[in-house]
Amino acid sequence: MTVGGGAAGAPAAFDVKKIRIYGLAGSVLGIYLAWILNTVTGTDIFSFIGAVAALFGVVMGANAVRRVCGYGIGTGVPSIGMLSLGMGVVAVAFGLSVADQFGMGALSVIVTLVYAMIFGYVVGVIANKVIKFNIPVMEEGLTDLAAGGAMAIMGWSFAISGSLAFADIVNDVINTGYIAIIFICGGLAILHPFNANLGPDEKQDRTLVNGVMVGGLSTIATGICAFLTLTPAAALLQLVVGFVIWYYFFMWYYRLVKRDASAVVGTGLLPPSAL
Amino acid sequence: MNFDATTIIYILEIVVGGLLVGIGVHFVPVGGAPAAMAQATGIGTGTVQLAAGSGLTGLLSAGLMMSVTDNLWPIIATGAVGAMIMIDATMLTGSWIYAYAVGAPFASAKVNYDPITGFSQPPYVAPGTVGQGIPTICYVSGTIGAAMGGVGGALIYYPLVMINNNPSLSAVFAIGIFLVNAVLASWNIQGTIEGFHDPKFKKWPAAFKACLVSTFILALVAVIITGGA
Repeated sequence: MTVGGGAAGAPAAFDVKKIRIYGLAGSVLGIYLAWILNTVTGTDIFSFIGAVAALFGVVMGANAVRRVCGYGIGTGVPSIGMLSLGMGVVAVAFGLSVADQFGMGALSVIVTLVYAMIFGYVVGVIANKVIKFNIPVMEEGLTDLAAGGAMAIMGWSFAISGSLAFADIVNDVINTGYIAIIFICGGLAILHPFNANLGPDEKQDRTLVNGVMVGGLSTIATGICAFLTLTPAAALLQLVVGFVIWYYFFMWYYRLVKRDASAVVGTGLLPPSAL
Repeated sequence: MNFDATTIIYILEIVVGGLLVGIGVHFVPVGGAPAAMAQATGIGTGTVQLAAGSGLTGLLSAGLMMSVTDNLWPIIATGAVGAMIMIDATMLTGSWIYAYAVGAPFASAKVNYDPITGFSQPPYVAPGTVGQGIPTICYVSGTIGAAMGGVGGALIYYPLVMINNNPSLSAVFAIGIFLVNAVLASWNIQGTIEGFHDPKFKKWPAAFKACLVSTFILALVAVIITGGA
């Protein structure tokens, strides 16, 4: 099993509080900005902003994975990513449905976020008190993780449906099965960065840049899904935005890998003797 | 939304389903990465992957049965059988690879004699490892665990569909509940376990308590959700 690489309290260039504030504010405001622009202009061309907002949640979640798994949880990093998305999907279904029942569809993001954070905190307390993990940042980490996972699912769901109404998201995202793509792609964006970068030389900036890079790939995936739910122009724009994000952060990630590696040597595809 | 007797039964069904998932994980022989290198007993992947795999197959088969009938018992039975087939197929094909490709004898490092076959185990455990492959006792234990997971998945899925009449929303929600419980249980066993003969199995009360609390919170919100348009 994966043994957590980065030691407890691994050096972090960015303060966790700052990342949390930017992550929460960025994702909530981003989704609302996308919703307002879509509603005011009467188009769905701004849906891609929802996907960009999801990336803020992803960065917050990836940072929480990094902090909690740095202590070593014994079950591999993917388990905590699946927990994050599991809590997130429940929170999103609850938030959308409750806001819809009270006739205030726009409040769904806030309801989702509040429920996700409360539930994440409770699971963190259970993990420490009942399962006896005794990881000091467990409660905090799982609160961030649940919020990050919920915001990632919310953002990408908006990017596919172009609306915050419960009925639209159920029809466009859940009944079509695209929620499964969001679930796994979003999960990858949250759990993969630390899983791929862990080790004694794990650096926070490299891990988080990797997270945004995978988030860009997920945006490409939701862009493809959006071709069947949004207008072609909006879907194409989302696809292009996803590609640009992926390319930019991939080059950034490559620069960081070269910075942290002792040497980067091209070996070619196969040695000549093997051909 | 009114909390009548039916709603309370639905909540109880979801809670029992979540508990079955949490306990069922303790039966499945999870070997993790060491098992993937044939250095530990069990299936060579993580708990969550196995739990999710068997749980989703159970959900799928339960959903198929639910499209035909509303009777709870055949739905639960179909869910259990679907999950059992999934885990058994995984263990069987995994065993072929361990036996014919890796060439490892199946042995448990946690018991001296296999409680079912009575075969001696220690002579076959390679030095430096904690057993290899999937011995009979692990296979049987895994099948029991998968049955519990499948019944749990069906018990979560059934009330959700009865409440919101939307199979896809219910399935997604059930997967969420399933994953939360599976991860809590896998944290309880610290990633690897051989089955009900493993000393770690005695830790199940902690997972029971953890899953009880978490599933209850999830069940309370599950009964509020409507099916959308």
